[in-house]
Amino acid sequence: MKLRLTTRGALEAAAYGTFILVILLLPTVADVFWLNRFAKYLVYGMLGIAVALSWGYAGVLNLGQGLFFGLGAYMVAMTLKLQSETSMQQGADTPIPDFMAWNSQPGALKDLCCIAPGSWLWIPFQSQAFGIAMVLLVPTAVAFLIGWSIFRLRISGVFISIITLALVLLVRLLIVDWQPVTNGFNGLTDLGWLTFGGFEFDPYVVPTYYLVAFGTVAVLLLTRLLVATRAGLVLQATRDDANRARYLGYDVARYQVFFFTVSGLIAGIAGAFYVIASEFASPTFLDLTFSVSMVVWAAVGGRNSLLGACIGAILINTIQATVSESEMLAEAWKAIIGLIFVLVVLFLPRGIAGLARDIAMRLAALLGRGTPAAQPLQKSE
Amino acid sequence: MAQNALVIDGIGVDFSGFKAVDGFSTVIEEGEVRVLLGANGAGKTTLMDLISGKTKSTEGSVHLFGREITNLEEHQIAQAGVGRKFQIPSVFRDLTVRENLIVACARQPSVLGNLRLRRNAAERRRFDEVVELTALGDVLDRVAGVLSHGQTQWLELGMLIGQGARVMLLDEPTAGMTVGETMKTAALINRLRGDYTMLVVEHDMAFVREIASKITVMHLGKHLAEGRVEQIEQNPAVREAYLGSGGIH
Amino acid sequence: MADTLFIGLSLASILLLVALGLSIIFGSMGVINMAHGELAMIGAYTAVLSGIYLHLNLIAAIPLAFLVTAGVGWLIERLVIRHLYKRIMDTLLATWGIALLLQQAIRLQFGATFFGVNIPGLGTGLQNVSLPAFFQQSWKIGDFVIQPYRSFIILVTIALAVATWALLYKTRWGIQVRAIMRNPEMAAACGIDVRKVSSMTFAYGSGLAGVAGVLLAGFKTVSPEMGATLVVDGFMVVVVGGVGSLVGTAAAAGILGEINGIVSLVSNDILARAVVLALVIGVIMWKPTGLFNFKGR
Repeated sequence: MKLRLTTRGALEAAAYGTFILVILLLPTVADVFWLNRFAKYLVYGMLGIAVALSWGYAGVLNLGQGLFFGLGAYMVAMTLKLQSETSMQQGADTPIPDFMAWNSQPGALKDLCCIAPGSWLWIPFQSQAFGIAMVLLVPTAVAFLIGWSIFRLRISGVFISIITLALVLLVRLLIVDWQPVTNGFNGLTDLGWLTFGGFEFDPYVVPTYYLVAFGTVAVLLLTRLLVATRAGLVLQATRDDANRARYLGYDVARYQVFFFTVSGLIAGIAGAFYVIASEFASPTFLDLTFSVSMVVWAAVGGRNSLLGACIGAILINTIQATVSESEMLAEAWKAIIGLIFVLVVLFLPRGIAGLARDIAMRLAALLGRGTPAAQPLQKSE
Repeated sequence: MAQNALVIDGIGVDFSGFKAVDGFSTVIEEGEVRVLLGANGAGKTTLMDLISGKTKSTEGSVHLFGREITNLEEHQIAQAGVGRKFQIPSVFRDLTVRENLIVACARQPSVLGNLRLRRNAAERRRFDEVVELTALGDVLDRVAGVLSHGQTQWLELGMLIGQGARVMLLDEPTAGMTVGETMKTAALINRLRGDYTMLVVEHDMAFVREIASKITVMHLGKHLAEGRVEQIEQNPAVREAYLGSGGIH
Repeated sequence: MADTLFIGLSLASILLLVALGLSIIFGSMGVINMAHGELAMIGAYTAVLSGIYLHLNLIAAIPLAFLVTAGVGWLIERLVIRHLYKRIMDTLLATWGIALLLQQAIRLQFGATFFGVNIPGLGTGLQNVSLPAFFQQSWKIGDFVIQPYRSFIILVTIALAVATWALLYKTRWGIQVRAIMRNPEMAAACGIDVRKVSSMTFAYGSGLAGVAGVLLAGFKTVSPEMGATLVVDGFMVVVVGGVGSLVGTAAAAGILGEINGIVSLVSNDILARAVVLALVIGVIMWKPTGLFNFKGR
């Protein structure tokens, strides 16, 4: 017994170690343009982790994860927009987003306080520290409120998916409609760079890649640690049988709200990193397609494995970007991803991670460190 | 005289006109194994729902060791010391037996209190105690979903012990068991006798004779009779109520 | 105002056709069919193609589209859904994959583009279906303008809704479907061939979506992505109306369609959609069984 458990633990540690090593050593082989691209895929990897946490571990299929991603993205984009050179060139002492200046009434006071209705909301974002604080705060608060309403009312299953789906579409519409403040469909472009202690995080330099890479590693390891705690175990217990957990004395809703919020926070952080690497924020982040895509990545990678979902996201996006070089292939790829998804759901519900684990366990067994017969009885994580 | 563990006073619930449980009262002493008898639809499971908070009562009260627990939330009643075992065994099927018991044995109900990796000494002691009582030591690393029916039932019972329930509500703990498994369950319940107070719904009279200190009979949601096994078997009112099914065997 | 209400009613009609199919499928099989909008899209393309190649007009395309989409639905049920019973979340994901596949199939002209072949009527571009001449003039009664095509949409929907009601409540198949809605195990134990009934149900629901697609093609441009928002709207209707309640679904389609119409009139389309979404979220939160579900939980 003990031996097989250690085999499992060792295999998992090896998988995490290899993954982390690969992304940290990538700058030794890739140029900055490629690294910039890969930084974005790492961000998608974070989204995979967020989905696996809420779907795989909590059993909550959130079809609106893009809401938190979008909120995080807009928070950092607002502060970076004000750092942009063009914002300083609007003929005022304080920075003003160019779109506000273009759209302003003739004779309107050129100041964030009143150039457009609601533009005063931008004032505190002149401080980058405030913007970053909002990245952490806003998605967390929104996720908490949504989670609290949903789980207190004991809404479950498909209804959660429909509510979250409706919410992300609702907020997307509000952002699009609130044109004077959000620049509507066009989103926030022409952003400045994140600066930290005098260093400017130009998206096309190696340190920016490392910023995102360390962020991803931190999110991955902390989340892994979180699900290994007793609270993480109670969460999985809740997923299996919420009533049993209640009758053991756990206030199930609190666990669900807590992890739903953590998942939202991860997505929010991912959104912020994405903006740093890609220099724009757009309402497309809140498209239904994007939120469902995240679920696809996690499903293909393995919904019950944080690392699997993360790698699934990176892998699919890398392949997609590679085939997108040719327009023909890009269109074919969309069909292929649809097909892959149907096949994974039908034949590989545990995703690549499940497959890898089975193969690794079998190999380990062949090497004489366990018995294959006992393997299927092991917990399928 | 022992302390009163569970005092049920005139409890009832009205499902839009239909009273599944109607003014039911009984007192269960600490350490007692009380068996609840009654035909299908007599309201036994609903009574358990009322005690454990799954169904909110429309009249009456429930006291646990002198503390009122009427209509609290399920988890609050569980924290107060009531454990519940379901007719269809309910365990965490995708977790291992070990993880099931760890979740049950945790002494901390709050999220933040459980953001830790290690168990404390008290939890570990209780875990070992439960493993010893239920004899699940050999299957600790199996997922609960692949256990045999008997093992699943014992795991669920073990989880109630682990959660520190002082009063256990057991809904047909031997349903679907083989004779051997039933005997083993009876032995387990008899080992727990005295330390735990139990309210058991059961149909198998051989098993009832094996474990019961006292029997309460329910009929159409109401309290019909109460007494020792022999008294109940002789009771004319009980015979009357059971006449349709040919008396109790 | 009356015009707005009338247009709102015709939009609600199409919504109802989409939602009816979703509701029957979800109610009886527990399947969330994310490809439902794409089935409507296929219906619309059936109208386009039958116009080009068979010189059929829009009215004649309706039964054809019903058959085509019902056939596609039947295939989906047979090949995928059947293997996912009891895994409700997974049906949602698998049908999403199917939706992508169907969209791409049209866009890539079933793969013909790879060989440099172009099939007129398919592909990424926008297609139009012209209405028969008698739909194009409009009559005036006082101030009120009757648009014949909008009226036609409403009539077809009423006819199909009544037909669906009759199928569910007056036929043997309907009794079986309703039995499965209540308790599939019991239905199977009573000798109902659950699998066969389920394929038929899925096919019928898909067929309704196909008809919605044809009707939509009469006043909107047809494109591969036209179905994407339909499924979301359809689901909102199902949820608000209460799963498995025909009357509720009809009422919810009417309410949501009209609210959409009225709010767009007083403010704009975007806010109209936002209001509808907010309303739907509220309904799920406070009355998860739907506004028109009179049965207790």
